[in-house]
Amino acid sequence: MRKFGMALAIVATMSGSVAAAQTAYAAQSSHDTNVYTQPAVPVAPKVDMLDCRGTTGDMGCGPGWFWRDGWRGWACYPC
Amino acid sequence: MKNIRAMAGGIAAAAIMSMAGFGYAAAQPGDFSTLPVDPNLITDSLAYNAAPAVYNPNGQAGIETVYTHRDGSRTITTTVLVLPDAQAATAALDGARAGLVANGTSQPAAVGSGGTMLTGMSPDGSKSVTVLSFAEGNTATTIEFAGAPNDPAPSDLVLELGRKQDTAIRDWQAS
Repeated sequence: MRKFGMALAIVATMSGSVAAAQTAYAAQSSHDTNVYTQPAVPVAPKVDMLDCRGTTGDMGCGPGWFWRDGWRGWACYPC
Repeated sequence: MKNIRAMAGGIAAAAIMSMAGFGYAAAQPGDFSTLPVDPNLITDSLAYNAAPAVYNPNGQAGIETVYTHRDGSRTITTTVLVLPDAQAATAALDGARAGLVANGTSQPAAVGSGGTMLTGMSPDGSKSVTVLSFAEGNTATTIEFAGAPNDPAPSDLVLELGRKQDTAIRDWQAS
């Protein structure tokens, strides 16, 4: 009888721990206080093509053009 | 009667002046000096320096002029040959282009008669070369553009100069 009582106590203790653990896990998952942030996605550097020097050029050639001495002499030429 | 005489005199004077004027303006046979078109007409006006013209190159009636860019890296060589007739002029185009471009690509060009633009490298590979050739009446014209290997002549410039050259030839023929 005494042995039976000991066994019952052990079983009761073990089951109680498991139940407590489940309760604790449930509480933790439903009341998460951590703040998760979306990782930043790497973005390629944004480049606005102005001209070969990154400006509007010595003579205001505009985006994609470059002032140089070429086939037509001094004029705006494509970069 | 007096009025009729005055009118007749005026008409005769006008006729003489007109004939004298036309005679002065007409190109003399063999006068090719006005044929080549200076490429500075379509540049900043000072980009090219002209070498003295060569008359009757290789014994063929006509004129050849070399224009060199002020930085020395580009040349434009205009050759206008004057042949007996249009058929001979057309036939001369193939010979005029021969040997100027190696491994070139050819495409039609809307200049003159039988206009062709040939683009490639010089036979020794040291220069980019574009050759525009066309016939106009009894003339055969080649315009060769030579520059650095990475600096070929823009096709719009080639065509623009070619059309101006074609117009100059027609004006010369009509004069």
